[in-house]
Amino acid sequence: MDIEQVRQLVELMKEHDLTELLVRDGDRRIVLRRGASGQVVVAPPVMPAAPIVPAPAAPPTGPAAATEDPGLVPIRSPMVGTFYAAPDPDSKPYVSPGSEVGPDTVVCIIEAMKVFNEIKAEVAGTIEKVMVQNAQAVEFGQPLFMVRPRK
Amino acid sequence: MFSRVLIANRGEIALRVLRACKELGIQTVAVHSEADADASYLRLANRKVCIGPGPATESYLRSDRIIAAAELAGADAIHPGYGFLAENAMFAEQCRDCGIEFIGPSAQAMRLLGDKAQARKLAKRARVPTVPGSDGPIEDDQKAVEVAGAVGYPVLIKAVAGGGGRGMRVAHNDAMLRGALKQARQEAENAFKDSSVYIEKYLERPRHIEVQVLGDKHGNYVHLFERECSIQRRHQKLIEESPSPVITSKLRRDLCYAAVKLARAAEYYSAGTFEFLLDHTGRHFYFIEANARIQVEHPVTELVTGVDLVAWQLRIASGEKLALDQHNIRLTGHAIECRINAEDPTRGFQPRPGRIAEFIAPGGFGVRWDSHVYAGYEIPKYYDSLIGKLIVHRMTRPEAITCMRRCLEEIHVEPVATTAAFHRRVLDHEGFREGQFDTGFVERELLK
Repeated sequence: MDIEQVRQLVELMKEHDLTELLVRDGDRRIVLRRGASGQVVVAPPVMPAAPIVPAPAAPPTGPAAATEDPGLVPIRSPMVGTFYAAPDPDSKPYVSPGSEVGPDTVVCIIEAMKVFNEIKAEVAGTIEKVMVQNAQAVEFGQPLFMVRPRK
Repeated sequence: MFSRVLIANRGEIALRVLRACKELGIQTVAVHSEADADASYLRLANRKVCIGPGPATESYLRSDRIIAAAELAGADAIHPGYGFLAENAMFAEQCRDCGIEFIGPSAQAMRLLGDKAQARKLAKRARVPTVPGSDGPIEDDQKAVEVAGAVGYPVLIKAVAGGGGRGMRVAHNDAMLRGALKQARQEAENAFKDSSVYIEKYLERPRHIEVQVLGDKHGNYVHLFERECSIQRRHQKLIEESPSPVITSKLRRDLCYAAVKLARAAEYYSAGTFEFLLDHTGRHFYFIEANARIQVEHPVTELVTGVDLVAWQLRIASGEKLALDQHNIRLTGHAIECRINAEDPTRGFQPRPGRIAEFIAPGGFGVRWDSHVYAGYEIPKYYDSLIGKLIVHRMTRPEAITCMRRCLEEIHVEPVATTAAFHRRVLDHEGFREGQFDTGFVERELLK
């Protein structure tokens, strides 16, 4: 099952106003559900005997309390330190609600032990919310921004 | 005294330090991994900071994140607990370089005692008996054969940077020696990133006796008597007690005096333990290694002496003088500790992480339960399997054994498998009851 096939299925759902579509292809299975907002959410295919590999990148777990909107994903702090919204006190913040970001866009600085680290978005989309204040202490995994991902 | 201490550890020892700080009026900061985020004991800290995902290499061993957390939270000292960074001299230095006191010895003393070969040299200079063996690391196989010939087989090959019973191999003759050297070096390289090894005579049926010492930053030292730790499996201690059921008053005096001499020679301060082997005659002891940290089994000594070792670590680190007079430290009664691990003794002691659905702690006269677990607690899979320490203190050894036996029946942990039933078997064994055992006892008598 490739991306093109999934795309076609999504179009099919929209065209016929379907809310749920289950497709079986041998051992593979894909479930597509269309949310109330019109967004199509793709559930991961269930593959037997596939090992669960923990995500190696920035922290995937943590409280979901910050997200009321399931369409948003958090940018989480990869370190312990102090959050700074701008490169220096005299500049504008790196991003604010409405800013477009790509995976390599620097979204903030986190300082620890006098070392200033540029933090990248690691996701493509639009900044919806800033979750922390300038000069606030942040811990590992703490949500810094909520992003509406670009598809 | 410090105003705020950061606890760079987890589980039962983090809780122990939290309690000591609270009683001394010190504010606390607890760091934790994501796997420990819901642990109850964190609520006792004034502040908690998440420092990474489950795996220790990404959290409890991340000195950068720990020090960053200390700076953020305004901690003026860090207590490392045991394991993790507790004997990491570089970490101790980094803390102090950042103006944060490390609650433990100086980096220099830590390095000296952490190098087993150096520690042996120190003992020789201090005229403390050591197990016959090589003077330092073995340079090559030929030297190894010479040393083995001089001290006599069997010999034990040990990692210089080792500890906790790891990185050791026995050889009974020249033919075995080369193979054993290779294996030991490999294991040492993997575990400690240092393949240096040294050789000691392998003692048959030794007893492991260690002495607790406290030293302050003003050159004052006291010992707090010995602990008998011969009930072990694969060099991991299972049961510890104080006093040792076999050592005489004279031997006790000599052992404790030797430990204090070593501490003084190493300019050691804070809580430390000096380990000795007692040979099968029970008449000769030999220094083997020193532990530059608070140990798991410290409550055994606390119960027989009435001295709060963790509180003293905090006082010593903040510069206070030891207000304990050796004459006033007495060994009263008998204490025994059983380490309760989430392991299945019927399946080779395989660790069994998972959720504790039902939990009832033992209690009663002379019973101490040091643990972070409770009903509903999820034992994470990333760390050691110790879920609690059960320690009892009574006036005599037989009474302590009876009390411990009663507690081991009382403790209720479901559905997780624990070593409680195994401890009962040890306590029921005549050899244990009569105090007739050595470090090979468990493997010989109970794991046939």
